[in-house]
Amino acid sequence: MFIKIRRDTLIILLLAFLLIFSGRVMTYMSYASSTTVDQGVPISGIIVKGNDIVPLDSIKNSLANVGFRSGSYIQGNTLVTSKRQVPLNEAINNAKQAAMETTIPGTQITPIVAADVQVDNSTGIVTVNVIEDFSNIQIKGLNGTF
Amino acid sequence: MVHSRGCIMKRTNLVRILMFLMTMTVLINTSAATMNVVVITDPTGQDPNGAAAGSQSWAENMFQSTFILSKDKHFAVLSGGEGNETPRLGAIVSAINNLENGGTAQSAAQLANNFAGIRIMTGGPTIGAAVGGYFLAYVVVVQDNGTITVTPYNGGIAVLPPGTKGAIIHLRNTPGNPQYGTADAVRLQTAEMMGEMIRDGYPATDVVAAAFKNVAINAGEKHGGGAVNLVSGVTTGDMFTPTAINTTGFSMDQPYSKVSSTGWSVAFPEAANYQTSPIDGSNLTTVYAYEALRKAITVDANATSVAIYGTDDSGVSDTTREIVQASVYKHGFNANQIAKDINKGISNGLLVGVNYVEASDININQNQKAVGVYFKSLPDDRSSPPWNLPISASILSILGNMQTAIGLILVILVLFRSTLISSFLKK
Repeated sequence: MFIKIRRDTLIILLLAFLLIFSGRVMTYMSYASSTTVDQGVPISGIIVKGNDIVPLDSIKNSLANVGFRSGSYIQGNTLVTSKRQVPLNEAINNAKQAAMETTIPGTQITPIVAADVQVDNSTGIVTVNVIEDFSNIQIKGLNGTF
Repeated sequence: MVHSRGCIMKRTNLVRILMFLMTMTVLINTSAATMNVVVITDPTGQDPNGAAAGSQSWAENMFQSTFILSKDKHFAVLSGGEGNETPRLGAIVSAINNLENGGTAQSAAQLANNFAGIRIMTGGPTIGAAVGGYFLAYVVVVQDNGTITVTPYNGGIAVLPPGTKGAIIHLRNTPGNPQYGTADAVRLQTAEMMGEMIRDGYPATDVVAAAFKNVAINAGEKHGGGAVNLVSGVTTGDMFTPTAINTTGFSMDQPYSKVSSTGWSVAFPEAANYQTSPIDGSNLTTVYAYEALRKAITVDANATSVAIYGTDDSGVSDTTREIVQASVYKHGFNANQIAKDINKGISNGLLVGVNYVEASDININQNQKAVGVYFKSLPDDRSSPPWNLPISASILSILGNMQTAIGLILVILVLFRSTLISSFLKK
């Protein structure tokens, strides 16, 4: 042995280890059993209404891109995402814009002409109402509207 | 004698030149080489599986725009993924616009002729089906007395009139496809097979899936693409489409997932690691992509449709859907039982990131065979719900911190024992 350790030292060290370990376990248990939330309301889901031809997933993706995705939460009047914090009304405007820029997958056709986004501050559910219109679509390289 | 031989030679040359020209025209038109198929087995629109359509190709970029579905107005607009992009978009938009304003399949498909080199196939349970523009198609008509008529069409417009049972299939080979040259034979073979299936009373979704299988295996035009159920408004969505631009989609003749008899499933490539279901140990069967397509667009009269709110995590929604379906299959529409089964899934870590549900969070509509589940997602990126301990969290936290502190003090005591003891002794 390079280091001489007395037996009672060893016992005390073992006791210390046990105490620290069980202490940490207890702290974790307190975290795991705590129900109080110090965070805001998490964005729990997106409900899309009014879309017919534009797929649901495309609209949800558009909204996820502007911050309405799982992992984001609402704190007061702020939407906190993994990247930044945005005032909620600004985020809603961004979401409207993003919904209207949603394309049919594989094309650049954007048939959504109007979008309304509502955020429920208590449940975190985002409701999107969209209106599709195919009668006034402009395509790059073709004259007129279709 | 010599003269007549020369004549034969010239004729052979002529035939060769003609053949060459025909090949060239076919090659030019293959700018959008794809399989497009529309099947209508119930022209009244009553059968939830009575009309279906789909697109697949050997080529790249078979995004959802090649099988557009209107779930409210019950029509589909099919096109090729390749080809000159701008006119194709124009044709798609004109066709959709026409159909939204009450047009028939024929009037919408006719519009493809205004765009050079474009093909549009449309259809719906009550509006019939039609293909317009540049195509090589067979129209299959099945009379009520079982007579099957298969008619070839080559460009212009081909129509399956409203009120008739039947199908339209367009198929051409993409240049570069190793099975190039098989399209003509497979198109006819598939058309005949579809005619027989329609006559024998198979639902349209089965017929479309069978056409996908036959074309994928025998003609090699196999990359999804996808298919839609026109009556029930179900689409395969992004199941088989490419994940990035200029790539191909899923091969429809490949294994897609493994599924257990109780409804648990796992997709390839992960599925290669599973031999039995981790839930109940039952055996898994391999599902091929065309079979997965059939299941995805077929609406089972006995199946439960499950809507999930409160979480956008696709893993949670899919697993919940399976749990609910298994629960309904076993115990019927019982909110308590469904909640119990979901909570079991949450406790054993099958569902993460959501809180336990109560029976009141389960919304059941037994007539529609629909179940809605309202989840509350957990804050703070937690994976499992809070533990239910008899001691309150704050007491535990204080106790834990105290123990840690005492432990650390002990370590310090040991380290400086001799110094401390001697300093005590001095006093």
